Amino acid sequence: MPSGDQYDECRAADGTVRPAWKSLISSLDDLGPAGISKASHEIERLVRESGANFQFADIIKRSARPWKLAAIPLVLDAQKWQLLEAGLQQRVRLLEAILGDLLGEQKLLKAKVLPAELLSANHNYYRVYHELPQTKLRLDVTATDLARDKDGTWWVTGDRTRAPSGLGYALENRIITSRVFQKLLRGNNVVRVASFFSALRQHLNSLAAGSPENPRVAILTPGQHSYRYIEDAYLARYLGYTMVQGRDLAVRGGKLNLKTLGGLLPIDVLCRHISDRKSDPLELNPSSQQGATGLLQTIRSGNVAVANSIGSTLAQMPALMPFLPAASKFLFGEEPSLPSIGTYWCGGQSERAFVLEHLDELILRPAFYVSSEPPISPDEMTAAEKSDLVDQIKAQPHNFVAQHRPSRSSTPVWHEGKLESWHVALRSFQVQTADGVEVMPGGLARVSPDPRTLDQSPTSGRLGLDCWIANDKPVDHEVTLLKQSHAPINLVRGGAEMPSRVGESLFWLGRSAERSESIARLLRATLIRIAGETQLEDIVELPRMVAALAALGQLEPDHAIAGLGEKLPSLEKVLPESLFDAEKLGGLLAGIRDMGEKAMSVHDRVSLDAYRIIKKIGDHLVRDNHSDATDIAAVINRLDGIITDLQAFSGLVIESMTRTHGWRFLQLGRRIERAYQTAELLSAMLVNPIEDESPVLESVLQTTDSMMTYRSRYLLQMQPTAVIDLLVNDETNPRSIMYQLLMIDQHVRELPSDHHEVGLGPDEKMARKLLHCVTMDDPAELSHANARGVRVSLNELLTKLTNELPDLSDAITARYLIHTGATVELTGRIDPIASRPGSAGSGAIIPKLPNVE
Amino acid sequence: MTDSASYRISHRTDYRYESAVAICQNQLRMMPHSIDSPCLSMNCHQAETKITPEPTFVEHHFDYFGNQVTSFSIELLHRELTVNVVSEVTVSRKQSVMKLDSPPWEMVRQRISSGENPGWLEAQEYLHDSPRIMRSQAFAQYAAPSFPPGRPILQATLDLTKRIHQDFRYDSAATDVNTATDAAFALKAGVCQDFAHVQIACLRSIGIPARYVSGYLRTIPLEGQPRLVGADESHAWISVYAGEKWGWVSFDPTNACVSEINHIPICIGRDYSEVSPMRGVVIGGGSTKLSVSVDVAPISL
Repeated sequence: MPSGDQYDECRAADGTVRPAWKSLISSLDDLGPAGISKASHEIERLVRESGANFQFADIIKRSARPWKLAAIPLVLDAQKWQLLEAGLQQRVRLLEAILGDLLGEQKLLKAKVLPAELLSANHNYYRVYHELPQTKLRLDVTATDLARDKDGTWWVTGDRTRAPSGLGYALENRIITSRVFQKLLRGNNVVRVASFFSALRQHLNSLAAGSPENPRVAILTPGQHSYRYIEDAYLARYLGYTMVQGRDLAVRGGKLNLKTLGGLLPIDVLCRHISDRKSDPLELNPSSQQGATGLLQTIRSGNVAVANSIGSTLAQMPALMPFLPAASKFLFGEEPSLPSIGTYWCGGQSERAFVLEHLDELILRPAFYVSSEPPISPDEMTAAEKSDLVDQIKAQPHNFVAQHRPSRSSTPVWHEGKLESWHVALRSFQVQTADGVEVMPGGLARVSPDPRTLDQSPTSGRLGLDCWIANDKPVDHEVTLLKQSHAPINLVRGGAEMPSRVGESLFWLGRSAERSESIARLLRATLIRIAGETQLEDIVELPRMVAALAALGQLEPDHAIAGLGEKLPSLEKVLPESLFDAEKLGGLLAGIRDMGEKAMSVHDRVSLDAYRIIKKIGDHLVRDNHSDATDIAAVINRLDGIITDLQAFSGLVIESMTRTHGWRFLQLGRRIERAYQTAELLSAMLVNPIEDESPVLESVLQTTDSMMTYRSRYLLQMQPTAVIDLLVNDETNPRSIMYQLLMIDQHVRELPSDHHEVGLGPDEKMARKLLHCVTMDDPAELSHANARGVRVSLNELLTKLTNELPDLSDAITARYLIHTGATVELTGRIDPIASRPGSAGSGAIIPKLPNVE
Repeated sequence: MTDSASYRISHRTDYRYESAVAICQNQLRMMPHSIDSPCLSMNCHQAETKITPEPTFVEHHFDYFGNQVTSFSIELLHRELTVNVVSEVTVSRKQSVMKLDSPPWEMVRQRISSGENPGWLEAQEYLHDSPRIMRSQAFAQYAAPSFPPGRPILQATLDLTKRIHQDFRYDSAATDVNTATDAAFALKAGVCQDFAHVQIACLRSIGIPARYVSGYLRTIPLEGQPRLVGADESHAWISVYAGEKWGWVSFDPTNACVSEINHIPICIGRDYSEVSPMRGVVIGGGSTKLSVSVDVAPISL
């Protein structure tokens, strides 16, 4: 907890509220504790439901730190902010100039303003960075980490010049805070951040070679399992850019392209959020799959602009910080107005001596790269650990910097029903355009009761805060300075521009959504029977339903084998339990988890509303501590919720997704899965009819959601022929196999085709053949049982379907999607000297700093 | 001994893939270009690279170290790839290295670290660890006997060159292209690449800048001279920084000699990783068969 001798953001030393905070504090007083708590809860809800925090509670294991937002923003006075802003602009210009010199003439090294070892001993410096031509300013988007000292001055604790994270969260914080505190925001005359993002978009668009009117800009994300993924998807969506991964990219003819269903499309500007050394396996790290092979060549050819430029990672090395004032004087003849936190590069003799003498007062970090690991804190080490550390510093002095722990200001935080004062760290963002440096008014603030957690990494800390730059007079509704495009836009329809990978994910999203719904329906129908008053032995359809559940992976197969079932735990217990079994590979939970994964991987393609529903479906499967969680009635309730929400999801898809190829793949997945599930179900329930089949027929109709249609046609008469007709042959029933096959046939025909040959593709032929089979079958013939009580024709048809539908699925993925998957094989560098072609190559290894706890 | 020699170099690389390759993207570092240094110069009269099948895209540039790089891609299905580089060069010796007076090795080191040497910035680049070469005490200890106080740097380096030749076994089965320098050092065996890496590691470990040179040897020796090891293929040796007067001077630890007009330098780098003659990424292809042939024939111009 702050001790009181640091700068208080909200109150002056005499306890009076600072002018910038006055209006906020008086509004908070008006709200009272109950009002603030209410606002806090509202913010929590919005954060939970926002696309940027899409998570499946504990169902999907994700490494991403959950994002949290505190209710009370950090407020900074607009006039004082201008001073900080000027310092930040100056710093970006300085870092750009230093980077340009290091990757160019190296005057700073020649004049010994910077030690030459900052490059020559730097394992993170790939010489390729130096040979790339300069086609633009290298630093486009940058961030600066700040801490406020006791006397109110801001200190820089770190720079981010590669691809700073947090921009998306800063934006989301503002959007949510402004929804909850709309009046407050206006009343405080808070400077809006929207214009910063328009400047960013305008700038990125302007980087395209030949200034096309509508350039294709892509955000290259490290991938679904990266901590950046959610934020990248959010930014891509907000800025209207395509989010891509390494495997979506292909270099052809010296140009960078996006692999889409409709073919390759050139990319003009690549906003890369991957590390410099991973950007091109041909010329940099050969084992990287995050970049694009040949990317550097496309840069050399001037065919793509990359933001930030490859090599910009050098400008953020902590070892640069102590030399910034001298570099600024050398390059611009001016002192930087914004100081950096005391930093000592151990490669210098006197600095090293100082560090070794004052070890306990300092923290140590890698000198040449920004690490996500917490810094080394010698004051928390044992004597033995410390002597190890001293040895390491002496052996590899170049690799270490030491820093003073920053002093941090405190700011009010609403915590557990009362106001507390926590330490704050601020990350500011800048975009550097041809006209100058624009600073985001505000930034990403983090707070924690313990200042050390804030020092760990730029994402550590307990809570995020919105940061308000408050004016004493109303903010002008600024006229947008952005160039308006007057050229007519080329109208595009159909969405062949979609990355093939996205098509693949949507296909499997459709399949898992449908599969989940089938299982949920069958499970509900079974549980309703078990919950009824009939003895289990007397429910004649139960063994068939259990067999079907086992076929779907919801139950152990043993339950379906006569005689074995008795030895197992009773169905009353097993079935409700099975809903929550996270270990099971098949079944409902796995299906829904898969749905979440697939939706996640196309985060920028699925509407936020659809996400909320998917998230809600997952929430139904979170086991709470109530004792009745596995009570049959409670489970049936949950299943009701799941089925309703799954239907809401498909309704949303039907109503709000444009009929692009993406939608088509989603539908294809769904139709193939539904045809398959229905065939499986009928096969388990109807191929070997029991004597009085009515209860079985009824359960089939319930499970397939066709009971209403049946009743409206046949009232209470249960006839196998009529049931089979409705579920197999009836092309007007959206649940029938026939209907699925008709839809599959239609969707497959509408997919993009690059075949110039006459005739049908393999997938089209397979779809047409299955459709033909079902068309030719007659319901009377299908429902006829032979002398041994087997429905031979039905069995034949269903077997054909369950065998050939997976083949059709494979044929579709092979034709359109598979080239995005595992067949792309990088064989690494090939060395003609050795007789070992295809060996893994000799990519430079980035040595890790010694691991000190 | 003649003071210059001219060669026609033919370097042919053939890949045969088990299954068709859809796309390959490659970089070649095998084109000679004219160079000049106080002791040696090379004049490249012509150089031609022929790639079959015809590449979809070709581009040339010079890399950070001044090497000429050809980048190309083949974007149609192919099962074979042939790269044939034919060039004609003349190598001229301007000074006999054996007869040169050179400064004591400590003085070279001192003038670089103090910055008194006008070439300090370029030289110190080759003092530090590089992707394939990590300095260590063991290398420094091995180098020590060749570097007693005050010994002229060229003499000392030649002595180290000879000792490596003597102590290390040339054995192409002992190591492969990815063998680490300290592993080859422990084995006391390897090929030209390992010999060069070890010598560079020794020199850098005592504070002397050293770099890696890739190139070729004349295939048929001059009359009365033994056939050199490493002819018929790409060869590698080292270059040591001998102070501002003589600059970079080359030695061949595989053949225990100074590299003069029997050696044709092609590329320089901090170690093998920066000069590999051909690197590439292919999609598809399955297992690959590779054959390389190098012919370096003396010609009269």
